[in-house]
Amino acid sequence: MSSCFLDEETFCQCCQLLLQHSHSLCDGWSWEQVKGSEGYLRKTALGTGRTRCILDQQGNSSDQHQERTFSLSFHNDEDDEDDGAVCCIQEESSSSSVVQYEYHILYSCSYQTPVLYFRASTLEGRSLCLEEVWDSVHPNYRQRLQHRPWDTITQQEHPLLGQSFFVLHPCRTEEFMMPVLKAALEEHRQVNYIVTWLSVVGPVVGLDVPLSYCTQVPEPPHTPSSSPQPPSSSPQPPSSSPQPPSSSPQPPSSSPQPPSSSPQPPSSSPQPPSSSPQPPALGTKPG
Amino acid sequence: MSDNAESPTETQKDEPSTPQQPTEDSGMADDKKKIDVLLKAVGDTPIMKTKKWSVEKGRTVQSLSQFISRFLKMEANEQLFIYVNQSFSPSPDQEVGVLFECFGSDGKLVLHYCKSQAWG
Repeated sequence: MSSCFLDEETFCQCCQLLLQHSHSLCDGWSWEQVKGSEGYLRKTALGTGRTRCILDQQGNSSDQHQERTFSLSFHNDEDDEDDGAVCCIQEESSSSSVVQYEYHILYSCSYQTPVLYFRASTLEGRSLCLEEVWDSVHPNYRQRLQHRPWDTITQQEHPLLGQSFFVLHPCRTEEFMMPVLKAALEEHRQVNYIVTWLSVVGPVVGLDVPLSYCTQVPEPPHTPSSSPQPPSSSPQPPSSSPQPPSSSPQPPSSSPQPPSSSPQPPSSSPQPPSSSPQPPALGTKPG
Repeated sequence: MSDNAESPTETQKDEPSTPQQPTEDSGMADDKKKIDVLLKAVGDTPIMKTKKWSVEKGRTVQSLSQFISRFLKMEANEQLFIYVNQSFSPSPDQEVGVLFECFGSDGKLVLHYCKSQAWG
């Protein structure tokens, strides 16, 4: 079984290839170099998030679209009457608002995977708190997050900048990367690890990854496998396990790619032929 | 989180505050507005008995993901991941019709799905 992990050199190569496509799209990614050796990808973007504001004593808020929720919050608020209280029930309003995001893609030596760090602030410059970030997670992932939020997104010190960032936990990266890497290995093709990984983690925290990344960004050039191959019970000799070398790191022109370089679909696509046995329509199912 | 099916043209990121429109769940819609989706399980993920589905083009990946999750009776601690071309994961807000036009072959869109306890 091929390693699901990423070495730092391949990380950099994948990032550079992603960067090239980002430049062509004006998508906003940049490479930041720190300490002369370590670098990371960075991008800022506006998105939506759920932010909270404390209601005043009349129960009013400046936000027009608000939901009133009673939340259990743990804090030491200087305005709090109960000075020594550890927790209180506070009426807050939660509303959808524009949020400024800053995303960083770093390489983690300990996990041997990329890690997504990000911070979020309102347009007034107030940093979102952890609970607001949890509330802002895409609904597709919210149930799983609410089950164990501390396992998913927490705050940590940025390894290179030393500032407080939110981070999407990387412990189980291999679980969702495995199907892609395994299929690539079986089909003797490579993938751009960062593009695949970003397509999974980005949408969780509001980072849009246009479809063209998944078709236009090439894989890194093949390098001799540096990760130790475990003793394999397969009869194949180890030399046949690594991928055949790609011809060049240039955008693949020979492999079948959709003609469009933008996320918009081509207008002249053929209609699917109607087959006699109609598959069931996807709808709601009881239970 | 709302358990109602989304109407095909509705894309939303927030909890719905307006009543949901019922989804057409019969095969009466115009064939041109539906695409064929073939769902393939990955790894230990349970295989759906019915793999081929006719899906409205405007339906989002998230909607499809919710459907599969309910079909598989997934637990709260599990997350469903969907893959296109076994090489990337489509955004939950992406419409399946767009995916079909870009990545469909032999008249259908093949999607692989995998359940996992990621993140953590």
